[in-house]
Amino acid sequence: MATNAHSSPEIPEHFRVTPIEISPSTMVQWLKPEPISPIEQRGMDSLTPGDYEIYDEKLKNILDESREIFVRSGVTNLLTAGDLIVAVYTANGDLANASAGTYLHCVTGCLPVKYVMSQYFPDPTVGVHEGDIFYTNEARYGGIHNPDQMAFMPVFHDGELIAWTAALAHQPETGAVEPGGMPILARSRNDEGMKLTPIKVGENYRIKRDLLDMMVNFIHRSPRMQEIDTRARVTGADRVRVRMQELARAQGNDFVRGLLRKLVVEAEASARQRIARWNDGIYRAVAFSDTIGREPALVRGYLTASKKGDTIRMDFTGTSPENDSSYNAYPHIAAAHAAIYIFAYPFHDLPASNGTLAPFDWEVPEGTVLNAAPDAAISNSPPLCCIVMTPATIAMAKMMFDSPDRDKVGAPNGNMGSEIVFAGTSQYGIAFADLDGCTLNTEGQGARPDMDGAHAYGFPWCHAGRAPDAEFYESEYPFLRLFYRLKEDSGGFGMWQGGHGTETALAPRHVPTMFWSAIGKSSNISVGVGLFGGYPSSASPGVWVTNTNLWDKMTRGDDDVPTDAVSVARDRTVDGEYLMEHLTRLTRVGQNGDIIVQLAAGGGGYGDVLERAPALVLSDLRQKKISEWTARNIYQVRYDPETLVLDHDATRAARDAARQERIKQGMPWDAFIAEWSTKKPDADALKYFGHWPDGASEQTLVRI
Amino acid sequence: MKRRITEYLDLDTATLEWACNRCGQSLGPAAKNYKEGCLIADRDPREIWQPFIEASFNFAYNPGWARLVEFYCPGCGTMLEVEMLPPGHPITHDIELDLESLQRDAGEPGSGES
Repeated sequence: MATNAHSSPEIPEHFRVTPIEISPSTMVQWLKPEPISPIEQRGMDSLTPGDYEIYDEKLKNILDESREIFVRSGVTNLLTAGDLIVAVYTANGDLANASAGTYLHCVTGCLPVKYVMSQYFPDPTVGVHEGDIFYTNEARYGGIHNPDQMAFMPVFHDGELIAWTAALAHQPETGAVEPGGMPILARSRNDEGMKLTPIKVGENYRIKRDLLDMMVNFIHRSPRMQEIDTRARVTGADRVRVRMQELARAQGNDFVRGLLRKLVVEAEASARQRIARWNDGIYRAVAFSDTIGREPALVRGYLTASKKGDTIRMDFTGTSPENDSSYNAYPHIAAAHAAIYIFAYPFHDLPASNGTLAPFDWEVPEGTVLNAAPDAAISNSPPLCCIVMTPATIAMAKMMFDSPDRDKVGAPNGNMGSEIVFAGTSQYGIAFADLDGCTLNTEGQGARPDMDGAHAYGFPWCHAGRAPDAEFYESEYPFLRLFYRLKEDSGGFGMWQGGHGTETALAPRHVPTMFWSAIGKSSNISVGVGLFGGYPSSASPGVWVTNTNLWDKMTRGDDDVPTDAVSVARDRTVDGEYLMEHLTRLTRVGQNGDIIVQLAAGGGGYGDVLERAPALVLSDLRQKKISEWTARNIYQVRYDPETLVLDHDATRAARDAARQERIKQGMPWDAFIAEWSTKKPDADALKYFGHWPDGASEQTLVRI
Repeated sequence: MKRRITEYLDLDTATLEWACNRCGQSLGPAAKNYKEGCLIADRDPREIWQPFIEASFNFAYNPGWARLVEFYCPGCGTMLEVEMLPPGHPITHDIELDLESLQRDAGEPGSGES
């Protein structure tokens, strides 16, 4: 698909996009802001003192208003959970600011806009006109994966193109080989359902009925949801369009152009200034995912972050090779997953603009799982890219600690992306395909240098996402939610403890059967880790019980119906067939009365467990956030088991003894390496890892 | 000049030595990985999280896939860092500072700044 971008001198400079060789491997280059054009410079110069500050805030209000309208117009639960953005761009596609939602789309939204300006703006068979509505969901053209759909619109005023607006949100169905939009069994792009290149779906501010019908036809498992949410995206983008035209009417086109470009320029300058005060050096971090969807497998993400002056080079050399699953990605997708952290922590106070990302360069070797071939399946790129999120958090935490930005340091969040996907015909006879946003949006936050992580803080891919109303699901879909609570001992242990994740169980009812599958990880090895001696979250197995007597027990009012995952699996008070498995599970038929347990990871801990204040340990124990076993064996706290009153002296002695035991058991480097380097993981773990231990590719893939 | 590089790691810009922030124990030259100056333990994840049941998937990580590699200060036993790694996976050289620029920023003699 490689083509040369247009850079014709007839095109006014402020509409031009830097020419690149367009391919999935190279779209990331368009993250760099375009040069300031003379007309934009004129607009920036026209801003009087106070204009930027006032209208930056005004723009945020416009974006927040439009986001709220977007949320209220949609119906699927990732949209209503807030996994979205609305955004405004310069006329040539640089992101000026966004209301997010998920920062993923702060990277991916600008790329299709630049594609349209590069390819279709000068093309008379397409063109860009007032009232046009464009739409896309194709990762090859800058998206993340095809569930993420984007509506975008040019903003014209007085006949001039002055900006673009967009609204993006995840759609939980794409017409792929499996329900849910993220097919675990996909082996090439041909298995992944609808993929729209940037296409004009509306003119004169109206959606074209024929093209909407085409989309709905692709999404036949949940046609109603597709139609409503497509309209919601257009509604979100259009509200920003209306407000930008009002702003242009009040202040002039130059003002709008100047304001948008200045947001990009100021964001870049501020980001560079901040980076410059961190220690120069090389920071390395590694993370491991334990699944490629259809089977457990070890996949490594390796980051070497080289910080020099006001620049950072993010090099993913050493990452595992691409494979024939849907757990692959492209470089702009990897960058987007680093950006989730970059926008939220080190630069949380800067505009969500691609100016903020300008100091970063991205090196993602072809053939790795983060830079797969164009025909690769990539619909599970977000769950894969936890192997970017964790290393980015760790490397930059170590970069920032010795700087005025220590308050922005934190351990990684759970980063496991846990969801049950379900589909079928509901108790109302309506076809549905959706996912459970309850575990997805309630992972634990990583601990920080001065506080514990927040419990059930959100969705690491979308920090602002909120868990939907758990009972909404029971009224809308055919299952009972048996429990939904914080999972004991799930926050990573440490001086400061990671926030706890949650656990839930669904039991199909009202209908004989319901299709379901599940996505998640950290069953064999944790992708989320701690920082500076803090531990990761606890492990997350999948639990499934079928052919149960659950309804009989509940009808009788038995008091031993399980209320947490461990009691389901260990106590087995419900009759049935029990299966313990990896958290990622292939699509299957769930029977009425089954118990489907899903877990969400906690955040990473911070610092040595032996430095956690004993009073905090006992407080956690009283609230049943941690077990007695953990209080005694991990935190080494001694107390009266009846009253939970601390024994200071015994605790001090236990902790001193634990430190002495470490010194006794610990081995010097040379002796340790001599023994350690003879070890190797289980053979089944290494099938997709690449060459051990460097992860280099060992085979050539052919996709049909 | 002493710089605090992480929660538990200090670096002396004059001597270019790593040291434990809690007890001052030297952890070797800053040009090398500070982990080489630590005591190290390979721990089974089941020592940290209870499996609760006997099954190939349970509530602890799989020791054939994951180990906890813990790095202790040899002076005071503080756990300075921990990595979760597959058995035998190379230890991460996580922090490799540009020592010249650190010395220059600190105004150390011979660094080009005073």
